[in-house]
Amino acid sequence: MSDHSISVGVNGSAGSAVVEARTSLATFLRDDLGLTGTHLACEHGVCGACTVLLDGEPARSCLVLAVQADGSDVMTIEGLAEEPDRLHPLQEALRETHAFQCGFCTPGFVISALALLREQPRPSEADVREALSGNLCRCTGYESIVRGVLLAAERLDERAG
Amino acid sequence: VTAAEVRDELVGASVPRVEDARLLSGRGRYVDDLRLPGMLHAAFVRSPYPHARVVAVSVEQARTLAGVEAVITGADVAAATAPLRIPDDIPNYARPTFHALATDKVRHVGDPVAIVVASSRAVAEDAAELVEVAYEPLAAVPSAESGLGPSSAPLFDDVGSNVLYRDRFAHGDVDAAFAAADRLVRATFVQQRVANVPMEGRGVVADFDPLAGELTVFASTQSPHAIRFLLSLALGHPVSRIRVVAPNVGGGFGQKIPTHREEIAVATASKLLAKPIKWVEDRLENLVAAGHAREETVEAELALRQDGTILGLRARITLDHGAYPVLPIPAPAYTNAIRVMLPGGYRVPAVAVEATIVATNKASYVPYRGPWAVECLVREALLDVAAHELGIDRLDLRRRNLITEAEQPVRLVTGPTIERVSALRTLERAAEPVADEPTAGDGGMLRGVGFAVLVSPEPGPPDYNTAVGFGETPEPARARLEPDGRLTLVTAQAPHGQGHETTLAQLAAQTLGVRLDDVRVVHGDTRVTPFHLLGTASSRAASMASGAVVLAVGRLREKVLRLAGDELGAAPDELEIVDGDIRVAGDSERATTLAAVAASAYFGPGVRAAESEPGLQAAADFAQPQGGWSVATHACVVEIDGDTGQVRIPRYVVVQDCGRMVNPAIVDGQIRGGVVQGIGAALLEHAAYDAEGQFLAGTFMDYLLPTASDVPPIEVEHLPPEGADDADFRGVGQGGAVAAPAAVVNAVADALGATVTELPLTPPRILALLDRASG
Repeated sequence: MSDHSISVGVNGSAGSAVVEARTSLATFLRDDLGLTGTHLACEHGVCGACTVLLDGEPARSCLVLAVQADGSDVMTIEGLAEEPDRLHPLQEALRETHAFQCGFCTPGFVISALALLREQPRPSEADVREALSGNLCRCTGYESIVRGVLLAAERLDERAG
Repeated sequence: VTAAEVRDELVGASVPRVEDARLLSGRGRYVDDLRLPGMLHAAFVRSPYPHARVVAVSVEQARTLAGVEAVITGADVAAATAPLRIPDDIPNYARPTFHALATDKVRHVGDPVAIVVASSRAVAEDAAELVEVAYEPLAAVPSAESGLGPSSAPLFDDVGSNVLYRDRFAHGDVDAAFAAADRLVRATFVQQRVANVPMEGRGVVADFDPLAGELTVFASTQSPHAIRFLLSLALGHPVSRIRVVAPNVGGGFGQKIPTHREEIAVATASKLLAKPIKWVEDRLENLVAAGHAREETVEAELALRQDGTILGLRARITLDHGAYPVLPIPAPAYTNAIRVMLPGGYRVPAVAVEATIVATNKASYVPYRGPWAVECLVREALLDVAAHELGIDRLDLRRRNLITEAEQPVRLVTGPTIERVSALRTLERAAEPVADEPTAGDGGMLRGVGFAVLVSPEPGPPDYNTAVGFGETPEPARARLEPDGRLTLVTAQAPHGQGHETTLAQLAAQTLGVRLDDVRVVHGDTRVTPFHLLGTASSRAASMASGAVVLAVGRLREKVLRLAGDELGAAPDELEIVDGDIRVAGDSERATTLAAVAASAYFGPGVRAAESEPGLQAAADFAQPQGGWSVATHACVVEIDGDTGQVRIPRYVVVQDCGRMVNPAIVDGQIRGGVVQGIGAALLEHAAYDAEGQFLAGTFMDYLLPTASDVPPIEVEHLPPEGADDADFRGVGQGGAVAAPAAVVNAVADALGATVTELPLTPPRILALLDRASG
């Protein structure tokens, strides 16, 4: 198995590492960097639990090799809040609506929702459901997550406006 | 627990969950997030055959791969462990013995044959590919029907037949009921095999210390004490030297109640190698080997009078068990629960059931959210058929037969006592919002409305347990007032999404008189949690863990008030505790704090000398109360595209009566989550095998889960508790998943004008039903 040197910016810090060619970005983040907030729940790109932002775009880190992220910026769930003792307004809204239960799919949903709100600050309920349809949650029936994202959109939009 | 013990402030409020800041910020700690020094990684070699003799296992090539520590075979594990067997001896139930890894035979696709331990999971998987197993394929038993055939090859030689259980039950005078009937309505319902699919699969880190003789196991489990106890039996190791910790657990839905063979195998490997070993299954392993549920065929026959009065019900239940039993659950528990709940909330004077459990070459049958669910589908669908045949409105047929609240308490003919069951009221409320739903959709879409009335044991009264054959076990809790006046609770629950860190804290805070933030709930570590085999299962938390917490904290409060009364020169009943301040009611000068009382209880020499039990700790065991029924009516609206067979659900209404709620947002989350699992089971999900026993649903492209765009908002309305005890909390974990398939089936039947008896209702099946209805 060949090793490769990569340079990746993760949550605002630049660094370099040596990885095996077959190491996925998710495994690199979790095992090499200790960023275990990114979860693996299917490893075939369907469930969305491992979603991170790769150069600002949502990506399934189980389907991206670490070597493919060379020269890129990655944002994970750990990089969302600006202060370590405070939640991001999106996380705060999701907490208020009791969005999640077991928490395993949560980081992927939060990142997918963040990407949606950056793209479309005031989505409709149907937009939110469509945008989150690539993330699987087995606990909630989705309604609480959808309401949380809509609440966050309303607040973030008011703040921006 | 009386009304006065639980006052009405925090309890009943949808306070945000204590768990969420951690989980939303990526700070949850699940098994796969744990790293122990020197930890190795495991991968299993699994059978590609449904049924085969294991002739030889060659491990030499795998062992020489760089990074491989060991390859452990079935023979190695069998030599190091006692054979596994279901502990309960039940009449007519054959209990095969088996091992954590296959030895002589493999019995389903995915059956673990060997375990490879290596420096990383990737290396372990590489080496697993190099293990060569010589198989001699045997004729497979791919279905219960084939297992019942005289020529089917027995899976377990020590049992000798694939019929693991058969028994007949008659409740009431069944022959007389059927003889008196004006009409018999029959149908055979086929409920497909589905998978629980927690988003986090199974996983363990096992760490054996040979010098201390201690085994520590971190496990993604609903039942830490069960794993601990069953590991002690399998390994011949003292229970007291096994510690099981459930860290954050990413869902379970019943699949993580059993102690799985892989968990025993990994613990055995750690003991053999004296090293910490992690195994975290991937999704294929979860789908192929973690277990499936719900695969029952029920031939049912309802006897009625012309006016719609139900006289009796006969059912022949055949359960496809898969291969291995799961520890420690005897499979007749499932068919018993189905049988006992068949009458639901209706007056059914006579019930006859024949139950058969058949071993097949498939993954194990495991508990899944409302394991008795098929009773609701069978009864509610059959009632709709009966209404149609008798020319009676389906709601009127239900009104005529549902047990009224005036008749209660009353025993179902199958055993349990029905009490505080407001099924009729939920039916009336649920019928209203869908009364004006159009019967035809735009553009030729077919529309239909379906109802299902649910009476769900969550956890049910003690005589429900007796009827099903479970023992009654009280639920323990421990409470400790810390020296700073804050409260620590220890529960036997092992939450994995239910929010018990929040709900139990709400109850405790209100019972004692402190802020929510001053309570912390400890769970999931057998070193400190009181013993209970089940953990979080069977909807015990809402009523029983709540009751235990209120009892334990109430005892603590009594002692606090006695000590504070001594200090303030007042009787305990003159005192009140508000936000941690203790004061004599109406006299603001005479006051102290919980912190001061706690400090003197732990450190004050006078108090310590005077008290027979120093400190401020209390324990309670809460016995199962009467009632415990969660009641609901579900109303489902479907819209069906007759060209494509696609079913859409534009509206879904639940009218629920679960007594008083601790945290309504958590309750509604449980209901909605359950309903969506039920919709998935009705329309999408199928853990399918082909006719040769090969598994067909090993990815999320084959095993379809509902997504956010597949389901509507679920409208949930609660009946206000009426005349109920203030502490009458009932669970809601199971019912959503139980009633939803029945409501969807009845809606689809209404839309198509057809009888619907087989799940899932995929587009091809809908088109076939349409063909039959029009042809």
